Amino acid sequence: MSLKKVKEVKKDKGFKLFDLIIYGVIAVFVAVLFTVIFTTQNKTPIAGVRICVAAEVVFEYEFGGEPSYKDGLDVEENGNSLTVTVHADNGYNKVYIDKLTKTVKVIEADCRGKQCMYFAPIENNSQLIYCSPHALRIEPLINDFNNPDIIM
Amino acid sequence: MAMKLFKIFSVFSAACGVALFCAGCNGKTFSIYTNMPEGSFEISDKNYTLGGIIPGYVPTEKEVLPSAENFTSKRRMYYSMTSNAELVVSADFTAEGAEDKYSEFVSAVGAELSAIDKALSVTVVNSDVSKFNNAAAGETVEISHTAYKVLNLAKSVYDLTSGYYNPALYYNVFAYGFGGAYDYPKDESELPDEETVVQYKELARHFGEVLLSCGEGENEGKYFVTKPEFSIEVGGENLAMKVDLGGIGKGYAVDCVDKLFEEYGYEYGYFNFGSSSMLVKGYTDGGSYNVGFAGPRSPMREPYLYTKIQGEKLSTSGDNEQVYSIGGKRYCHIIDPTTGKPVQTGIMSVTVIGGSAAEDDALTTAIMAMGKERAVQFIEEKLADRKVAFCCE
Repeated sequence: MSLKKVKEVKKDKGFKLFDLIIYGVIAVFVAVLFTVIFTTQNKTPIAGVRICVAAEVVFEYEFGGEPSYKDGLDVEENGNSLTVTVHADNGYNKVYIDKLTKTVKVIEADCRGKQCMYFAPIENNSQLIYCSPHALRIEPLINDFNNPDIIM
Repeated sequence: MAMKLFKIFSVFSAACGVALFCAGCNGKTFSIYTNMPEGSFEISDKNYTLGGIIPGYVPTEKEVLPSAENFTSKRRMYYSMTSNAELVVSADFTAEGAEDKYSEFVSAVGAELSAIDKALSVTVVNSDVSKFNNAAAGETVEISHTAYKVLNLAKSVYDLTSGYYNPALYYNVFAYGFGGAYDYPKDESELPDEETVVQYKELARHFGEVLLSCGEGENEGKYFVTKPEFSIEVGGENLAMKVDLGGIGKGYAVDCVDKLFEEYGYEYGYFNFGSSSMLVKGYTDGGSYNVGFAGPRSPMREPYLYTKIQGEKLSTSGDNEQVYSIGGKRYCHIIDPTTGKPVQTGIMSVTVIGGSAAEDDALTTAIMAMGKERAVQFIEEKLADRKVAFCCE
C-alpha cells in the first residue's frame, strides 16, 4: 500500500453512513428477534411431564393423575414426589417430579458432563431438559384442546 | 468492507430462500384416490393431486351430539403392542362420581390392552400366538377367546381380500428385517435369496387352512386352533406356519376400547393407537374432529388430506413407518403376498374409515399390496360401506 493510500485511509471516517445503516438494521433485527422470542414464550405452569428416549414416549404424568410408562422404567412414588429412573442403552437418568411445586428436574445421571443435571427445573411450558448422550428429552405435557385436529 | 458484508448477506439470504422453496416443493407429485364425495375432504399439500374419485360410497347422515360446553378433557397415554396409545375423554368431571368413573374407565382400558397384548404378542413366550407359532404342523392348541376372535377376523379378511391380507407371511416379514427383528439388511448381499422367499410365501398361502373350533362336552367354553399340515424345509430345518397378528391387533384393541366408551357412557373424545387405528367419538361442540392424514413422504408428518370424522373408527397403513433403502429401492414392512417381498406397488399410504377398526386395519394392509388398479376395483366392489383414501407415487 502506498504512503498516499495509507494517509487517505487514516483521514477517512471510522464509520461510513452505509456501515451505520447496516449495523442499525442488524441491531433492530436482533432486538425484534429477542422481543418476539421472549414475549411469545409459553409461561403457563406445566400440567404434567413427558419423557422421551430417542423420540419414543416412555413416560407421561399429568399432575393429579396416575403416571403411565413403558416397562423397564423404575417409578417410585414418595408422598408429594415421583422419582423416575430411565435406563438408556448406555446409562441412566433419575428424574424428580415435585407434585406440590409442579417442577421437574434431573437429580442423578451417569452421562459424561452431566449437563442434564444443570438445566433449570421445568416449571413452565417453554422449558425442557435434554440429555444428549442418552437421547433423553424431558418436556412439559401440554394439553392443547383448543385445537381438536388429530394427525394420524 | 460494508459492501462486501452486504453482498455476502444478500447471497446467503437468497440461497436460504431458494433452499426453503425447494424443500417445500421437491418436484415430486403424488396422486390421491378416494371414494369420499368431493367436498367432504380437503387436500392440504400442494404436492398431492386428486387422481380420481372411486364410485360406490354413499354417505350417511351423522347424529348431531348434544352441546357439551362445560366439558373438560383428560388425556392418558398407554404403551402396548410396542406402540403408544393416546386416550382422550371429554366429560363433565365436576359431576359427583365423575372422577371415580373416569379412573375406573382408564383402568379398564389399560387392562383390556394388556390382555390383548398377552394374547396376540409374538414375543411374549406364553401368548396364544406364541403357542400357535411354536406348535408343529397339524397340531391343535388351546387359545384364549381373544385370540380366537382375532384369528377369525383375520381369516374373514383374508377371504374377502383374496389373500392380499395374510398374517402368515411371518417368515417373509422377518427375513426382510421386520416383525421384531429390526436388524435391517445393509446391502443386497444381506437380503434373503429368491428361492427362500418363494418357499416362505408358499407356506403363507396355506393360511386359509387354519382351523378354528370351539370346545364341546368337557371342553365347552374352550377355544382351539389347528395348524395346517403343510410345512417347508429351509436350510435343513422343517418350518411350520407362523402368524403375526400385529396387522389387525391394534384395530381389534380400538374396537374393544369403543365398547368400553359405550359401556361407560362417554360420547366425546378419541382413542389413537399408534397412529395406526383410531376411534373418533364426538368433539365437544357437538361436531366432528378434523382429522389429518400424515403425508408418507413428509418428515414432519404434515397432513396431505383432511376430513371430518365423528363416531367412526379408522385405520391407516403406510410404507413410511418401518422402512429402509438399498440401491435406491424402498423396503417396507408390508409384504406383497404375490411376491413374498416388500410391497413395490407405488401405493404409499391407505386409510379406511368406518366399520370395525380390526377389519379396517387388515384392509389397509391388503390395499397396500394390491396396487392401484386392483385397489380401485376392490374398493368400488367390496368397500362401498366405508370411506377409503390412498395415495400413490
